[in-house]
Amino acid sequence: MDVALEINNSTDPASQFVTWSPSPCRVRVSNPAGTTTPSVNVTLAGVSAANGGAVQFRSGTSGAFANTLTLSVPTSGATVSFFAAGKFGSPSSSNGDVKIEARVGSTVVGSASLMVRIRKNANQLSNGERDRFVSAFAKLNNQGLGRFTDFNNMHKEPTLSQSHGAPAFLPWHRAYLLDLERELQAIDASVALPYWRFDQAAPKVFTLDFLGASDANGTVHFRNGNPLEFWKTDNTPGISRTPDFPLSQAPPGPMSEADTLALGNQFRTFRRMEGDPHGLAHTSFGGFIQDPRTAAKDPLFFLLHCNVDRLWAKWQRQNGRFDPAAATSFDERPTSDPGHKLDDTMWPWNGITEAADPTRPPTAPGGSLATSACVAAPGLSPRVRDSIDYQGVVDPAANLGFGYDDVQV
Amino acid sequence: MAKKPTAAKKASPRKQKATAPVHVAVPQDADGVRRLLKDLRDAGKPIEVRMATLQSLGAAAFSVANFDSVNADYIAALREVSTDSHEQLRRRSLGILSRNKDGYAQKALLDGLKNPAKALLPPEKALQLLGNDVHAGAYAAARAIVKKPPNEDAKREALRLLAADSKSEPLFEKVLRDKKEFRENRQLAASALHSLNPDKLQRQARRILKDKSDYADIKATSLTALEQFGDAATLGKDKALFQSVTRFKAASKTSAKYKQTARRFLSKYGQ
Repeated sequence: MDVALEINNSTDPASQFVTWSPSPCRVRVSNPAGTTTPSVNVTLAGVSAANGGAVQFRSGTSGAFANTLTLSVPTSGATVSFFAAGKFGSPSSSNGDVKIEARVGSTVVGSASLMVRIRKNANQLSNGERDRFVSAFAKLNNQGLGRFTDFNNMHKEPTLSQSHGAPAFLPWHRAYLLDLERELQAIDASVALPYWRFDQAAPKVFTLDFLGASDANGTVHFRNGNPLEFWKTDNTPGISRTPDFPLSQAPPGPMSEADTLALGNQFRTFRRMEGDPHGLAHTSFGGFIQDPRTAAKDPLFFLLHCNVDRLWAKWQRQNGRFDPAAATSFDERPTSDPGHKLDDTMWPWNGITEAADPTRPPTAPGGSLATSACVAAPGLSPRVRDSIDYQGVVDPAANLGFGYDDVQV
Repeated sequence: MAKKPTAAKKASPRKQKATAPVHVAVPQDADGVRRLLKDLRDAGKPIEVRMATLQSLGAAAFSVANFDSVNADYIAALREVSTDSHEQLRRRSLGILSRNKDGYAQKALLDGLKNPAKALLPPEKALQLLGNDVHAGAYAAARAIVKKPPNEDAKREALRLLAADSKSEPLFEKVLRDKKEFRENRQLAASALHSLNPDKLQRQARRILKDKSDYADIKATSLTALEQFGDAATLGKDKALFQSVTRFKAASKTSAKYKQTARRFLSKYGQ
């Protein structure tokens, strides 16, 4: 007999990815040959490659996860549901480096390879992870002709009022990063956006093989063969970036992680992190990254913001701020402009432009938010509230399908 | 309002070990921005304080709700300090202004290129900043610098600026083919040529890869161009190219990194 396993209830290769959050899965007998009973006991277990990810299981929507799970599966071909999740502390480093093996007794009757795809510290990526990320990013840019142009245009004047200086700063950027990450994954499904911990030294990030090394003039250099050597934005090749700190150290300006997490247990006080550490991380450099209008021209922007998002995720976990309906999870103000209230849809994914609403920008580059084969949320036109319960803690359907290597569910 | 944990920051051992950076808190509102603008303009304050002030003002440009209401004051202050006696302040303020496509800054930078005695910044920095706005009318100055460069960095930045100029396509083709040219300029020429005329770059890249006497680093750049952005149908038919890349990969003098680039190319095109 054989059984078939479906990760995220699908056999689509693009669905074979999990995070720390529970992913709905199914198992069914696909070939009953040799069976004589109406059902068989199938035991599921994760098998990890060296340095691979690890998975765990549970049968229902609640309860503890375990390394193995035994399910009674009808031989009629009907499916049985279960949940799989990455085991915290054991993310994958490449696609398919962990598999779920199904056994009846000691006989393997089916398996499915998958990846525990998790956002990691950029300074700790393996060379393979780094190279795949850089290659996918360069392809997205495609020398200034690719889809990255939309992401650059989404973060320029006159669009900044949609994303800065107001309550939706963090939710908007969470959606922005997710959109970009999904586009990267459409190029290479094994890629997760890494984060730059700006409160720690990150000497491996600012190298010729990764995000480039700056010369005294602030011109960023890449090793020949690093695909980012063809980076281009707004018709001009290259990146301008001058660090104001020794790269063997962290920038001295931005607030530490501990201080950031101590900004208060209400979102309305925590969001002050937009100035420090977020703003000071940007202005620890000269060059593109320093200015709101040009920051997104530098790939570093997305690693910096990934860390900003990670800090929010850590703060959310520390204070249990996942419920969009709770007043402590967001800074809801009746006077906020459109795009900054909990139930507002966010520009540009909502397609609303100045013609329909004078508070919105003249154009909406990029169209709707990229979809995922793993999760349904946040939909094509996310609302501010859709960014909050990113792991599906309150509502499993809200899971956005990403996680951080040091933030548990 | 929660109190900013400045005391905790000052007590951090990491901060104490660093080279005693000056910390200026990021303003929370327009009034706070105006106060910092005064400090920025104050030539009597130590340069370290003024630079830290500029850093905090930059952070406020991201986070202060109605920064637009003080933006004109911010620009005016930046223009004022763009002629300061401290070069680092001139660099940073002109950088911010030019990224905001500020006409005053563009004119000052262009004037400096034409008359080096009046230049606020070295030509390589001025050219880099002028590249923030391809409509800045800097092409003529950049072409002049390519012809008679004051230094190699200035030539490189002039080439970078010209990368968007369709009239410069023959220049980039020449630079890419010239084995005596600095490798970095050839790298830049490959990037520029690829967007100005992708077919031409593909032809040049294939030629470079087949040329046994050309350099390994520019071959790696050519391989990356073809692997990342190449036309699979054309490349698939070029047997001589695959032989050259296979030789490049096998050569003992080829570095491990470049061998990896060659492997990626061969793997992508099924060899």
